[in-house]
Amino acid sequence: MTNQEYRPLLLKNIHRPDSTSLSAYRESGGYKALERAVREMTPEQVLEEVKASGLRGRGGAGFPTGMKWGFLPKGPGEKYLVLNADESEPGTFKDRLLMERDPHLVLEGFLIGCYAVGCTRGYIYIRGEFVEPWRILLKAVEEARSANLAGKNILGSGFDCEITIYRGAGAYICGEETALLESLEGKRGMPRLKPPFPAQVGLYGKPTSVNNVETIANVPLIVEMGSSWYAGIGRPKNTGPKLYCVSGHVRKPGVYEFPLGIPLKELIFEHAGGLLRETRPLKAVIPGGSSVPILPAEKCDVLMDFDSLAAAGTMLGSAGVIVLDDSVCMVDALLNLARFYAHESCGQCTPCREGCGWYVQILERLERGEGKSSDLDLLLDLSDRIQGNTICPLGDAVAMPVRSYVNVFRNEFQYHVDHKKCLAEPAPAPV
Amino acid sequence: MIPSQATQLQIDAALKEYAHERSALLAVLHLIQKERGYIAVEDEAWVAKRLDLPPAEVAGVVSFYTMFRTKPPGRHHIQVCRTLTCQIRGCRELVKHLEQKLGIQDGGVTPDGRYSLITVECLGSCGTAPMMQVNDDYHENLTLERLDALLDSMK
Amino acid sequence: MADPTPEQVTLTIDSQSVTVPAGTNLIEAARSVGIEIPHFCYHPRLSIAGNCRMCLVDIEKMPKNQIACSTKAAPGMIVRTRSDKAVKARQGVMEFLLINHPLDCPICDQAGECVLQDFSYHYGTGGSRFDGLKVHHDKNVDLGPHIVFDGERCIKCTRCIRFCEEVTHTHELGLFSRGDHTIIGTFPGKHLDNAYSGCTADICPVGALTVKEFRFKQRVWFLRNTASICAGCARGCNVNLGINEERIWRITPRDNGAVNQSWICDEGRLSYQTYQQSERLGRALGSAAAGSATREILAASGYEQVAATLGEIARKHGGATVAGITSGHASVEEQAALKELIERAGGNRIALPVHERGDDDALLIRKDKTANSVGARLVGGANCTPEDLLAAIKTGKVRALVVLREDFLGEFGAEAMAARGALDFLMTLDWRVTATVKASDVALPLCAYGEMDGSLINYQGRIQLLRPGLTPFEESDPAWKPLLEIASRLGGAAVPKNFREAFRWAASRVPALSQLDTPALGKYGVALESPETGRG
Repeated sequence: MTNQEYRPLLLKNIHRPDSTSLSAYRESGGYKALERAVREMTPEQVLEEVKASGLRGRGGAGFPTGMKWGFLPKGPGEKYLVLNADESEPGTFKDRLLMERDPHLVLEGFLIGCYAVGCTRGYIYIRGEFVEPWRILLKAVEEARSANLAGKNILGSGFDCEITIYRGAGAYICGEETALLESLEGKRGMPRLKPPFPAQVGLYGKPTSVNNVETIANVPLIVEMGSSWYAGIGRPKNTGPKLYCVSGHVRKPGVYEFPLGIPLKELIFEHAGGLLRETRPLKAVIPGGSSVPILPAEKCDVLMDFDSLAAAGTMLGSAGVIVLDDSVCMVDALLNLARFYAHESCGQCTPCREGCGWYVQILERLERGEGKSSDLDLLLDLSDRIQGNTICPLGDAVAMPVRSYVNVFRNEFQYHVDHKKCLAEPAPAPV
Repeated sequence: MIPSQATQLQIDAALKEYAHERSALLAVLHLIQKERGYIAVEDEAWVAKRLDLPPAEVAGVVSFYTMFRTKPPGRHHIQVCRTLTCQIRGCRELVKHLEQKLGIQDGGVTPDGRYSLITVECLGSCGTAPMMQVNDDYHENLTLERLDALLDSMK
Repeated sequence: MADPTPEQVTLTIDSQSVTVPAGTNLIEAARSVGIEIPHFCYHPRLSIAGNCRMCLVDIEKMPKNQIACSTKAAPGMIVRTRSDKAVKARQGVMEFLLINHPLDCPICDQAGECVLQDFSYHYGTGGSRFDGLKVHHDKNVDLGPHIVFDGERCIKCTRCIRFCEEVTHTHELGLFSRGDHTIIGTFPGKHLDNAYSGCTADICPVGALTVKEFRFKQRVWFLRNTASICAGCARGCNVNLGINEERIWRITPRDNGAVNQSWICDEGRLSYQTYQQSERLGRALGSAAAGSATREILAASGYEQVAATLGEIARKHGGATVAGITSGHASVEEQAALKELIERAGGNRIALPVHERGDDDALLIRKDKTANSVGARLVGGANCTPEDLLAAIKTGKVRALVVLREDFLGEFGAEAMAARGALDFLMTLDWRVTATVKASDVALPLCAYGEMDGSLINYQGRIQLLRPGLTPFEESDPAWKPLLEIASRLGGAAVPKNFREAFRWAASRVPALSQLDTPALGKYGVALESPETGRG
């Protein structure tokens, strides 16, 4: 099947006008998977199906979901499944779409996941700015509860699962799983030292697995259609449908669902309408959210899956595909991101706390024409001092783009030093 | 008195929601901010007492999260996204326009209290960039014209 | 190499084989073989924070550096603290810490004992590539009654916050804001005012938290440290006296896990101020010496006269009319010497005044504000109350009184002054001029705190050593010297020539101390096992 023939699985309901309602969801076959899971399968069988499906985390790390669940201790005892709806990675907006237009898909996946790991109180951590999705989810949980799909003795199976929705209050760092748990416990969202890992010591000190919204939305599909069917979608070790967020200088920005492994150029040019302006060609693409190394136009012949992008020296990450045309000054773009990470750094550990601010100052100087040649290697060296030396991956998330942009577009940075202005020719803003 | 009886009932409900009361802290702060428009020092003291937490910790939490305001915003709190996609889709022009039209800078409140303006980081709406959030609502696919129309509609 | 026992772990650090108990972190494991892994936020008596990243080390088979503070020693682990990977990370941390740190060294109290300074010298690169603008915070913040806070110097290690959470449980401090604007502070209007606030300045690795009473007073490299014991209460916290130019400028705690961990209360920390604020008794006073007398005069005739006076009273009215007042402020040797004198004169009544204030707290503070009341009881004095003694004086049963380090008349007021008149002879030994000194027939000058050796027994039954760091004021002596001089003239033994002899003499008279000698006490003291200490 070509990508042109592909019919959405995760997004199949979103265009229905009443797509958030329970009745609409059921009409299109919803909650059959939950029913199958709690009535016909054991939790272990559900877990094995998810393992066999090859589902990998859609939040950014791409860790096999079944394996992650498998780290939790078996048997009775308090454990938690927590849904990470803190979507804050620049370039990413897929989880919001799912929550706003098909909340029951997310809930069903979450309930099945709770069943598989033995969690009787699931938490959904949603970023505070997502007010509308929050209200929609609350309503959906209420509907599910009233229909005996959540709460006590779900569908008469004996499985209890209460869902609590928890609002964040503005902190990208709370998307990191241990910072999320700290925030859920009512504290400043500062990441914890690992080890111990959440699977051993998580929420309230109990074994916990934190999963992304899109990841969990795949679970009903796996349970309903079976792991072999699911694994037939995409590519080996990179299975299943994927939501790609395409934004930036394209004509049709939005969320596009395709099997994992669609060629990047096909995604941009055949589905997202190609470049915004005819006169401004493609310059670069960020393939997986702001934290991943950038691909210059000449390196964009690449497949959009975990392993292909890793082989190309970057990452699928959150699949936040940001398309940049040649009006973008890469120094300016990197400065924008450096400011983002400096704003979002929790401030706990030395390299990230101090390094982010230093990056910003260097890039500001470069941007306004006061940079030095030595600044370029300084930026690279600082990346080496930060990456791998911090409590959490935010340090890596700022160090990787810095290293990547300076290496890939070194001539542009050098131009700023030598000529005190941008190499790129700006275009009028499209507003 | 803030929090009012009604808000206090909601706070009681929030506290019951969690196995550990401390988890309710962010929800309680949201409720208080909903009523007052921001969080005052006396609110932090009240919350500390209600949740049996050290006041310094409550204040530390308030200061950590960008959504918690410690100063009164305008009736229409305009938060323009400034992260990469919004920037390359023109948010700087929007902000310039807003600053000129409202006569305030990023971080300011109009003298009549009608508008306040800040720029914020990624709001998870890159597909409809440039965009902004006004109070709770997202306004997407902005152009200068749409911006003007929106401003006029906000009383 | 096989592990000796299941509870021991053997690993390699910088090519050295190290064997430590299972559960030991790498900082302590390295320390055990003399390898320093530099760190700021780690403190052995606080929880692990892991935020400074200074202790990053290179562990074989681990792709990323690991922090040594939270990594436990594992069998066969190979740790390198000086590999390129570790050095690069550490130099990075040093450079990062200094970019927003103010160049305050010339005016900062911490200079000379600043961990940031020291590590910059040992582990830094000697320069910085930063030439931007530093983040600014309030400096000279009045954080509490004894603490000044400089926000720019703070490196956000959070030791102070953890101290207030985990040790004092008072939670005054918190973290505010985030990113590079993170700062520690108190809730608006509240202060860092727990009873141990000064300890936050001890554990602050930089000059962000400093003690007000020491601010700008002395450069630490001019201070000589004398290891001694705080005499403020019955805890006997181990301390260092910071001394220069014959003056104590500050008291800081020494770590002793059996007594005070790494802490001291603010009152004890500042107790040196009390000793400096009193009028000293520098020379012997009194009718026996017709004015003030030097040691020579005392030796030539003074002691003889006192002995003769006491002997006379004992002959006329009975030895039982000679009594003493001992003190919990006195050392064991001094208390033993007083008892010796009273006994040689034929008496046996010795009273021990009680000095209690407040309550014992959950940490270090004892309501008994004397450091050696246990010693007084062990030595065998304290067989009657001061009130009983007062009554005995009034009824003529006590006619001669020797008072050691107590302002008996001052504290019992008019009643005691009236009783004074009933005494034939009053001799006081003290370090300061008190009402009792002024009303005495003979007053002999004593060393004050910091001027003499002495042993003290704390409420746990631990015997510890006071050490001198100051020259005794004018003619002052430790009380055992004049007391035993007089006692020897009443048939007592030869006077010890030095403190060690005095200690052994006193120890020989107290069953609980009979096996002890001063070298065994060292800097940390010895726990007595005798049931007479009343421990438990």
